[in-house]
Amino acid sequence: MPPRNLLDLDDLSAEELVALLDRAEAFHRDPSPRRALAGIPVVNLFFEPSTRTQTSFAIAEHRLGAEVVTIDPRESSMVKGESIADTAITLSAMGVGTVVVRHGESGFPYALARSFPGHVVNAGDGTHAHPTQALLDVMTLRQEFGRIAGLRVAIVGDVAHSRVARSNILGLRALGAEIVLVGPRTLLPDAMAQEGVRVERDLDEVLPTVNAVMLLRIQRERLDSALVPSVAAYAAQYQLNARRLERLRDGAVVMHPGPYNRGVELTDDVLAFSGCRYVNQVANGVFARMAVLEALCA
Amino acid sequence: MSERAILLRGGRVIDPAQGLDALRDVLIERGCIAKIAERIDDAEAAGALELDVRGAVVAPGFIDPHVHLREPGQSHKETIASGCAAAVAGGFTAVAAMPNTQPAIDSPQIVREVIERARAAGLARVYPIGAITRRREGKELAPYGLLAQAGAVAFSDDGSTVDDARVLRRAALYARDLEAPFISHCEEAALRAGGVMNEGATSARLGIAGSPRLAEDVVVARDLLIAGDTGKRWHIAHLSTGRGLELVKWARSQGIRATCEVSPHHLVFTDRLFEGFTARGRVCPPLRVEDDIAALRAGVRDGSVDVLATDHAPHTAGDKAGPLSETAVGFTGLEIAVGAYAHALPDLPLERMVALLSTNVARLLDVPGGTLAIGSAADVTVLRDESWLVDPEAFQSMGRITPFAGMRLPRRAVATIVDGRVVYDALGGSPRVLRGSPDGRTGAATLG
Repeated sequence: MPPRNLLDLDDLSAEELVALLDRAEAFHRDPSPRRALAGIPVVNLFFEPSTRTQTSFAIAEHRLGAEVVTIDPRESSMVKGESIADTAITLSAMGVGTVVVRHGESGFPYALARSFPGHVVNAGDGTHAHPTQALLDVMTLRQEFGRIAGLRVAIVGDVAHSRVARSNILGLRALGAEIVLVGPRTLLPDAMAQEGVRVERDLDEVLPTVNAVMLLRIQRERLDSALVPSVAAYAAQYQLNARRLERLRDGAVVMHPGPYNRGVELTDDVLAFSGCRYVNQVANGVFARMAVLEALCA
Repeated sequence: MSERAILLRGGRVIDPAQGLDALRDVLIERGCIAKIAERIDDAEAAGALELDVRGAVVAPGFIDPHVHLREPGQSHKETIASGCAAAVAGGFTAVAAMPNTQPAIDSPQIVREVIERARAAGLARVYPIGAITRRREGKELAPYGLLAQAGAVAFSDDGSTVDDARVLRRAALYARDLEAPFISHCEEAALRAGGVMNEGATSARLGIAGSPRLAEDVVVARDLLIAGDTGKRWHIAHLSTGRGLELVKWARSQGIRATCEVSPHHLVFTDRLFEGFTARGRVCPPLRVEDDIAALRAGVRDGSVDVLATDHAPHTAGDKAGPLSETAVGFTGLEIAVGAYAHALPDLPLERMVALLSTNVARLLDVPGGTLAIGSAADVTVLRDESWLVDPEAFQSMGRITPFAGMRLPRRAVATIVDGRVVYDALGGSPRVLRGSPDGRTGAATLG
């Protein structure tokens, strides 16, 4: 029995996670349109602007034959100023069975799910979770290495504010990878260490020990709030560039959830690097989201 | 004051002020404690309303030094009347009301208005706390002398910290010679900024912005130093950290006149309450971690915590329904307090508990009560150790949000007497709050 919602990857057992990955691979091998969600309305409710995730979801929904409805809450009087419960009741009364929601507040989809009788898919909530991104990341790693168990994956940068990092920690740990988090103390508190998740400060030491490096976007606002001294200072310690690529072991790959900041967390050398899997990630996103929507709603 | 005498028959009478802990009858006449004896015979208590309190504890009326009654200005959350009903239903004969009302309690007129409304409610005594700064804005001094004259028992900008140390120091100097203490809400604004829960492993895992314990501790330290510098008597509200308590102990060791309080939620819940992203855990200062709970409980046991305080902060359900960062801060506390304290500190001797809830609070606020001495006003709380289920729908308070909802607690108030009149009675049948006219006569008649 699949879960009702996908709020984060810990909603899934390891077996369910593997089943989703297998299904996503099947869509990858045969990307032809399906009818699994034919006639089923799916509402995309994005409180935060997001071109890539929203587009990826919309394409996934269309490929499954869903009736795609997009609400911009910043424009919609239906949502603006309403309580979460009111929004849930309104959507449910219209016969909407599935909502894909992105919100700037950690936990928002959980509150929505408590009032909404249908399915809620978390498309990113605040600094908490981004389960479909993590699913496509895990999928990309599995394509590369054929397995997740036993891999060592570094996640580098602004981990404290990263929903991508948190969901990846859950997904990768569930399937048996080891994780090394790397960043300055202001963006990566010691409190993020847990079983199977180490916290390190020296990227140069970590790079030769890992199978994959996930870079995180560092936002401008972090630079303005006394968390990092400057772009140059951050780059000197944590930017992935030509010199640091040399330190990677053979076969190691580099990933980034996008959008990336050239010259901050990475340089053009990284984008040109043979082990860069950025494009694969974006492609896999559609298939991973198809797998999620089909499992929940079909 | 009631016309009719009351005889409390056969209770365990605990009055730390007299060192009394024994089975006694208590006779209340003309609003005062008239007699306490092993046996008061019927002739002596002729015509008195007799309450059978065998198996119950009879204590000097509990006083809560920290409640938010929301009036004036936010009567959709609570009124003075509903807050007073909650107080007596929770066993409190008096409460001290924080000034974060709209307008704030920063003028003698508002102090008098609060007292007047409380008198009209005819239930618990209400002692207004005046603001430290006008409109609680942290800039201009409130008129302390006039506020005290009108009836303010302490001064606080509770809900906010006075960020400007110079303003706070001058305020303390100006108010230095008034007996009413300053009460500090300790959260440093910049360190707290954006934090909706304790900063720690749980906030890191959930991706929720945290407010560190440091945010509280630095203000506790600052305010204790200002207390030392100015000589002003000082009280630290709702301590939530072990470090904060250590600072208070240090201050006292230096001769600084400092006291502190702890609230029920900080003695029971940790930041793990945020698991699952429910809003019910949001309070300021935030719920911390196990180590802090252990330190605060130890402080209550060893006497370094002076008084217990609910920080009763009623909100509507809607206030708590939005996203976490927009949800209202605080819990309804008056009606769970007695049970919650017993739940948190099952081994605390009752005599100590009564001191923390009555004797010490009367001393802190320099108000009547806190004892059952002959001739003192008959404010009495009757308690019984019995398990009960917290059902917020049954609250007298308009606020229904408490993390204790659905829990079984081991103790509760079964009768509350204010000024010689029974205002809450759960001794027989279903609990009743007995509202009276300001002179108390109808209240007595209701019982007849």
